[in-house]
Amino acid sequence: MYLIDVIAISPQRTFTDEFISGDFQIHTEGKMLAIEPSYMDLIPASLLRRMGKAVRMGIGAGLPLIKNYSSIEGVIIGTANGGLEDCIKFLNQIVEYEEGVLTPTNFVSSTPNAVAGQLAMMGQKTGYNSTHTNGSLSFDNVLLDASLYLNEQQQDATLLIGALEEISAYNYNIDQINELYKDELVSNDELLNTKTKGSICGEGATMFVVSNNPNGAKVRYIDQFQITYPSKTNFSQLVEEFLKVNNLHPSEIDLLLFGNSGDVRHDHWYEDLHQDLFADKPVYTYKQFCGDYRTSNGFACYLAMQLVREDFKIHGFEVTSKPKYVLIYNQFLSARHGLILFELL
Amino acid sequence: MEITRDELKLEFKKHLVTYLNLLDVKPEEIKDDEPLFGGDLGLDSIDSVEMIVLLDREYGIKIKNPTEGRQILVDVNTIVDYIIANRTK
Amino acid sequence: MSRVFITGMGSISSLGLTVEEQLKRLRSEKTGIGVAKHFKSTYSTSLPFAEIDLSDEELIQLTGFNKKGATRTTLIAMKAFQEAIECSQLKEDELTSFRTAFISSSTVGGMCYTDSLYADANRIGNKSEFFYAYEGSNHLIEIIKHYNLNGYSDVINTACSSSANAIMLGAKLIQSGRVDRAIVGGADCLAKFTVNGFNSLRILNASPCKPFDANREGLTLGEGAAYLVLESDKVYGQKIPLAELVGYGNANDAFHPSATSDDARGPIKAMNLALGVAGIDPEKIDYVNAHGTGTENNDATEFFAFQQVFGNQIPLFSSTKAYTGHTLAAAGALEAMICILSIRNKEIYPNLNFDTPLSPDVVDSIVTKRTDVDQMKYVMSNSFGFGGNGTSLIFSSCI
Repeated sequence: MYLIDVIAISPQRTFTDEFISGDFQIHTEGKMLAIEPSYMDLIPASLLRRMGKAVRMGIGAGLPLIKNYSSIEGVIIGTANGGLEDCIKFLNQIVEYEEGVLTPTNFVSSTPNAVAGQLAMMGQKTGYNSTHTNGSLSFDNVLLDASLYLNEQQQDATLLIGALEEISAYNYNIDQINELYKDELVSNDELLNTKTKGSICGEGATMFVVSNNPNGAKVRYIDQFQITYPSKTNFSQLVEEFLKVNNLHPSEIDLLLFGNSGDVRHDHWYEDLHQDLFADKPVYTYKQFCGDYRTSNGFACYLAMQLVREDFKIHGFEVTSKPKYVLIYNQFLSARHGLILFELL
Repeated sequence: MEITRDELKLEFKKHLVTYLNLLDVKPEEIKDDEPLFGGDLGLDSIDSVEMIVLLDREYGIKIKNPTEGRQILVDVNTIVDYIIANRTK
Repeated sequence: MSRVFITGMGSISSLGLTVEEQLKRLRSEKTGIGVAKHFKSTYSTSLPFAEIDLSDEELIQLTGFNKKGATRTTLIAMKAFQEAIECSQLKEDELTSFRTAFISSSTVGGMCYTDSLYADANRIGNKSEFFYAYEGSNHLIEIIKHYNLNGYSDVINTACSSSANAIMLGAKLIQSGRVDRAIVGGADCLAKFTVNGFNSLRILNASPCKPFDANREGLTLGEGAAYLVLESDKVYGQKIPLAELVGYGNANDAFHPSATSDDARGPIKAMNLALGVAGIDPEKIDYVNAHGTGTENNDATEFFAFQQVFGNQIPLFSSTKAYTGHTLAAAGALEAMICILSIRNKEIYPNLNFDTPLSPDVVDSIVTKRTDVDQMKYVMSNSFGFGGNGTSLIFSSCI
């Protein structure tokens, strides 16, 4: 499966060229809110009025790609929570009005598959459509689902796929109860230097055009490996076996992109894997850009697509010759672990 | 407190903009006799349910479902006439 | 390419706590729709529901899963999962194998505890016991932990077609050679969230749903869980499979967030895709288990889709939602179970509550009494959800 194009709305200026030109946004408020474009030119007002933030970001990033790539047949989205803000607004109505007469808009747009449905509707795409809601493996699931679909097709086929998550006051509260975030205020540029529990919340929508036809693509998805609640003792061995199944040895991985989140309770997974299999290579991280959220590895994949540029020496990357194999590793609360293997062409 | 028909029309238009989240529409811009459905506002079946909720919450009027509402939810004039005749709030 | 067989199934719904209990109920034409006894809502006494007749405490007793904060969704998912793997006689090493996938689905998840969620989301009072369990994927994590599963896991949420999509994905994983088996299905409970949501759209019927009836006025919500064990023909060994999954198709109607287009292009495409994968002509279908929710829009457009796909020869069909209610994410898997029971017993379970057809042609094919049939080779099952998402599955008998 080839990654042809990408649009990202994130806490960085990724929607325009500024992030790639070196701009780095520092967030000091504890939540890394996305820098959203003006949607009025992108999305008709009659539809925009119904959209919560998650849906807006998903459509904002996805619709331009649908417009530019008429070959897109279907849409697959990964999101752990979907439009939770809309969901909680509806719940608040239920409680406030004691299950009386309620307005339906929040209910309809809160369903996690609202984005995939809207994109299909706005682009008139009647092909394969799905939404994966498997926590921090949601986007990994999307990649596999898309590659299965594309490999089955007899002819050239193209899909729009994406990773999506929003910060709403409400899911932030629940995540705080679950001790996901730092008690102290830390800015994102300091995040990975901290040695305390918790991380910083981020959000974003990252949409990709993928195809079974190379089409001049610079990134090929090779494979993925996932496991939930692995044992600490053989995890590195499992990763090594995963690479072996793909005819690769750890020494052949040129670039590591890991999801270190500044959470002292859980970052050891990344450190240990680094030491066990890749000790002679630097590890690059990505959550200092996008914050921590379930589908943040979508942002990591976006970064991988930027790495094909020669002399990629911005944002702390020291890439002089183009890497060939990139391994992305993300885990969430030591529970779900996902590895994605790309080849840069 | 007595409210004039014109004041009620404007009040209703303001509610409409709020309930339907009509982003780029000013209440005064909505014409009294412009068909709400199939007109420039681009309203659909979900909006008809939202309007039923509006009429209940703001004016205490109970309409059972969009089918029953079809005769009433035509344009601002017809709705305001209905409100004047049936409001309980 | 591997063939995909169903070697086990497990389920719980308003019709019974096991597949066997549900079969008896289906045969006796007794609906599971009635008055909710355990579900707490303003609507508990005024609207009909198809409720599983057990309280949360009783479900804990039944499953033996006594973890604090285990949601009703998790409990019913556990129950159905337990039955499915026992039915398939999966050995421990098969269950925990890296080549055994687990794909589930849920729309409500832990949000069935609306009041706790409201409090936790607004940070009112101390955290509830469910503070960690609200996500739709929570029940999957609990099952993975409980059974030490190691293989590929996934959760799908495409509203009413969710578990049908889970079944389809499981089949594709097996056919790709990536896994040998996949446990697939879903679970959903009655929740204030969905009850009020559908009610706000004015598509809940004040009396039990009447699929394909001219006087239908909406759907009836139900709860349930169902899992199928899919196995490749290369691994099921000496087991006698229950049925084979021969066709599947997913398409999007691309028309409206919560209604199907009048020309039903999404449903038609999904059904035709499934027939294409199965490699059979439409006239080979012996029975269709319709999505048939009882809403004005779904039943009219679905029947129109039948006419387009099957022409003059619409197969015998029924919607079993007048038995089970609409179990949302679980519907696809629950109705797959019903289709497999149909295949194995060569009988069709009727479309209850049917009096006046929505159009004259309906009468030719709709089944309104339990019916024995001579042939039940190919059965189609439809699930059409919000966001225009539609999936059609085709099962066949093994003999």
